[in-house]
Amino acid sequence: MENIEELIDKLTQDTAAVKPAPHPFVLSAKWMGGAMAYLIVSLMFSGLRPDLMAKLHEPWFVAEIAALACIFIATSLSAALLSFPDMHQMRRAVFAPVATFALFVLVMFLAWQADNPPAPLPVHSFECTASIALFSLLPAVWTFFEMRKFASTHYHWAGCVALLFAFSIGAIWLRLYETNDSIMHVVEWHYLPMIAFGIAGLWLGKLILKW
Amino acid sequence: MRQSLNGDQRAYAELLQETSRFLRPFLAKRLSFTNEVDDLLQEILISIHKARHTYDGNRPYKPWVYAIAKFRLQDHLRAHYADQLHHADDLSEMEEFLHEDVTESAITYESISGEVEKLPEKQAIILRMMHQEGYTAKEVAEEMGMNESAVKVAAHRAYKVLRQKLER
Repeated sequence: MENIEELIDKLTQDTAAVKPAPHPFVLSAKWMGGAMAYLIVSLMFSGLRPDLMAKLHEPWFVAEIAALACIFIATSLSAALLSFPDMHQMRRAVFAPVATFALFVLVMFLAWQADNPPAPLPVHSFECTASIALFSLLPAVWTFFEMRKFASTHYHWAGCVALLFAFSIGAIWLRLYETNDSIMHVVEWHYLPMIAFGIAGLWLGKLILKW
Repeated sequence: MRQSLNGDQRAYAELLQETSRFLRPFLAKRLSFTNEVDDLLQEILISIHKARHTYDGNRPYKPWVYAIAKFRLQDHLRAHYADQLHHADDLSEMEEFLHEDVTESAITYESISGEVEKLPEKQAIILRMMHQEGYTAKEVAEEMGMNESAVKVAAHRAYKVLRQKLER
């Protein structure tokens, strides 16, 4: 009991005014803004796919990009909430990525059904995964660096959602850059690896976000 | 908390005291030893201090504190059980090195009786009286006209000799 009193005395000595962390919505908006700026700059360097204007008239392509954007927003919000010990007392909002992933799976299923006759598979394969991984590296590092400033009590999930956030921006970039219409290819080499990296984030979260 | 975030030392001390007051029973319910409760409570207070910037004063304080307390408690229990598991591993490793079944002993009643007979007469009588006939050291001392501590010393010497012989 005396130790507790001593500790409280010590902690009380260190009470320089602390700047409260921003609201998770502000934090999420900041991360999304940074990621969007990175996407725009990257697209300016890499260029857009030549048939983008035509593709934007295809409902399933637009739905796919919109679903990816939903994942991007939901994971960003969820990562921001998971950075707080009490998830800013908005527990339900943390699960937003689950709904967006369900929507995404549905969209991909319907797009696959509509892909008849199926678009030819491109000659490349793992290069797409490698490109997404390389592209997502910077947002991932930045997000983890930002999240370390807070105090996550769910570091496994925080790591998972942070990587999904970073990889969703990578996936959007590749869909806007690569001329490829094969649904099977994008599922196999774009989205399944994205989920696999998200699962790896469970472990990475423990490694990086534990405090 | 809002006052303490602005650097008010007294408000912060009161807040931490009050926090430790309501966390103590929460931890005591979940841990068996008082020293464990104290150690963990200290860790939690340090964590609250480290994470105080994540609380803005606009939402209830207790859910925020309990989230940190549960997090640290889980960490503590995880480490505790991992430690126990580690010891269990050690025992299972040891089993591989044991050549004989430790529950079966080569020492039998007959072998002990034989060795007792080989002891000096006085020691043998003392052991027989104490272990076969159920006398206490005091009763043996009265029967043999010795004092109690001399009986105990003799018995102790006899045990030592027996152990050496039976361990060979």
